[in-house]
Amino acid sequence: MVYQPPVGARDLFPLDVAQKRWIEKRIQQVFHSWGYHRIITSTLERLETLMAGGAVEQSTVIQLQDTEGEVLGLRPELTASIARAAVTRMAGASYPQRLYYNANVFRRAAKGVHNRQQEFYQAGVELLGADGIAADAEILLIVFDCLRHLELEDCYLVLGEAGLTRSLLSPFPDSLREHVREAIATLDRITLETLPLSNDLRDRALFLLDLRGQPTDVLQRVSSLDLDPEQRTTVNTLKALIELLQDAHSRQLSQATSAPSSPHPLTPVLDLSLVQTFDYYTGIVFEVVGSHGQRILGQGGRYDQLLSLYHPQGKTCPGIGFVLNIEELHQVLLSDGQLPLQTPASDWLVVPTSPEAYAAAIAHAQKIRESAHLVRVELELGLHDSPAAIREYAQRRRINQIAWVSKEGLSKIETLSVNL
Amino acid sequence: MITVALPKGGLLEDSIRLSQAIGLDFSAFLDSSNRQLEIWDTTHTAKALLVRNYDVPVYVEYGQAQLGIVGYDILREKRPQVAHLVDLQFGRCRMSVAVKATSSYRTVLELPPHCRVASKFVQCASDYFKSLDLPVEIIPLYGSVELGPITGMSEAIVDLVATGRTLKDNNLVEIAQLFETTARLIAHPLSYRLNRDGLQDRIEQIRTATLALV
Repeated sequence: MVYQPPVGARDLFPLDVAQKRWIEKRIQQVFHSWGYHRIITSTLERLETLMAGGAVEQSTVIQLQDTEGEVLGLRPELTASIARAAVTRMAGASYPQRLYYNANVFRRAAKGVHNRQQEFYQAGVELLGADGIAADAEILLIVFDCLRHLELEDCYLVLGEAGLTRSLLSPFPDSLREHVREAIATLDRITLETLPLSNDLRDRALFLLDLRGQPTDVLQRVSSLDLDPEQRTTVNTLKALIELLQDAHSRQLSQATSAPSSPHPLTPVLDLSLVQTFDYYTGIVFEVVGSHGQRILGQGGRYDQLLSLYHPQGKTCPGIGFVLNIEELHQVLLSDGQLPLQTPASDWLVVPTSPEAYAAAIAHAQKIRESAHLVRVELELGLHDSPAAIREYAQRRRINQIAWVSKEGLSKIETLSVNL
Repeated sequence: MITVALPKGGLLEDSIRLSQAIGLDFSAFLDSSNRQLEIWDTTHTAKALLVRNYDVPVYVEYGQAQLGIVGYDILREKRPQVAHLVDLQFGRCRMSVAVKATSSYRTVLELPPHCRVASKFVQCASDYFKSLDLPVEIIPLYGSVELGPITGMSEAIVDLVATGRTLKDNNLVEIAQLFETTARLIAHPLSYRLNRDGLQDRIEQIRTATLALV
């Protein structure tokens, strides 16, 4: 009998883990430096908790049943769990709350897709209780900071405003609005051209479909529409946000003393067709796209209605967050040759010279380990029967120092030349 | 640099003519001695991949090609996540239900429940019969579905019909039409949003050329 992992599952071996940790450590450092604290929520949630926000389709959740027959699901993302936890357990907490997570999520592969991965890792933040330009800017700046620390500064940021786009869709008749929104969200121009719309509305739909490009240009184009006061305010806020990001960036550049900061493309692609087919995001939405334009490395947005869904009295609380997809980052960084290609080698191999010398060898190894910095020390376990075999093992494992320890506790140190 | 996925088969010639209209010459694919699957246009500004029509949306969905030309029938069948940009107007045909001319069925609703329908377009066929609330068994076939009714394996077929000649030659008649299909220009959504390498300009050129050719 051969035991195989379930379809879509994957084991991470030490090198995979070393590479994954390389990525996660850099991201976590950024999160810490912005004052975020880690939250760990349950991997299992009630299905209704996961689906409350309307952004999760039941078919994508891997479901389980508890003994009382309650339907549970493995979380497909973290925001629902954090929203649930925040409103129920953090009542009376002072706001804003700055939370981050680094966790696995599960997504059932779509029907007809073979062997697609079902377990993923995500690192992200949620900034709860703060609205306004400064909070939006903080989130986007953390995204840029993460990308900078991962040396992925040539990524693209596609930025939209879900609330504004939804509002711009309000002139469409109820019967067609969802079709128009879906066609815009999926970039289906042919459907927009063939829906039974008046010429004016068709022009408006096609105008919205291609409302993207340089932010100043897009803001100018959207301003040419007949906007109501609220829409005008949103457009002005968006303009102020983009100016704040650019201003913050140019000040950062002028302060940079050390490494020459690359001309970071802090100017996002403003894309007002970037919407979902469901009402989840209420303000800015964004996607981080890898430099080849093929992978979505992360995404996020503002969700000011979500927390009220989890609050017993329906109290609203603004929220904004983003998530970075570790596997996607892993793929991009691997092809860039940035990740470690080997697990760290041990610094020492401690070898007892006779079976009676183990106590002395263990004591010697322990002494080396107790250094201020991490020193990796392996004990030879008697699997090699000659000094030559021991040396060969050390060479193969890139260990360049061997301590031969006698029963009396005398050690002879041998330095090997390492063949890489 | 832009990569375009072009479909082998019936749509290839028109696709190459359209590419030429916007200044990209991939006519080497039409040379019967050509065995290359990837060629550059003569000005070296774009590359074309020659793939099976079913595979066009796959290369585009994964971003290996930013643009592709493929029939609406395949988009309907496979529902890939790609941007549907221009109805190119060529390759017009219809997705139809056909039965043996000698059978008594003249509308779809006369087909017996749980009868067998052979098709290459399993998704389209099952969506259609589901919408009619008519339970049928779809038999997936990969070529010459006309043999289904001829051999008696199935009562009906769902297949693309251009002139109707193949049906006629095989003593089959069309009894219903699911939808009409034409060739479509599709794009990789992220590439479309980012508009790298002048993608938007190329799409506009194709739109203009399509209007001129029709």
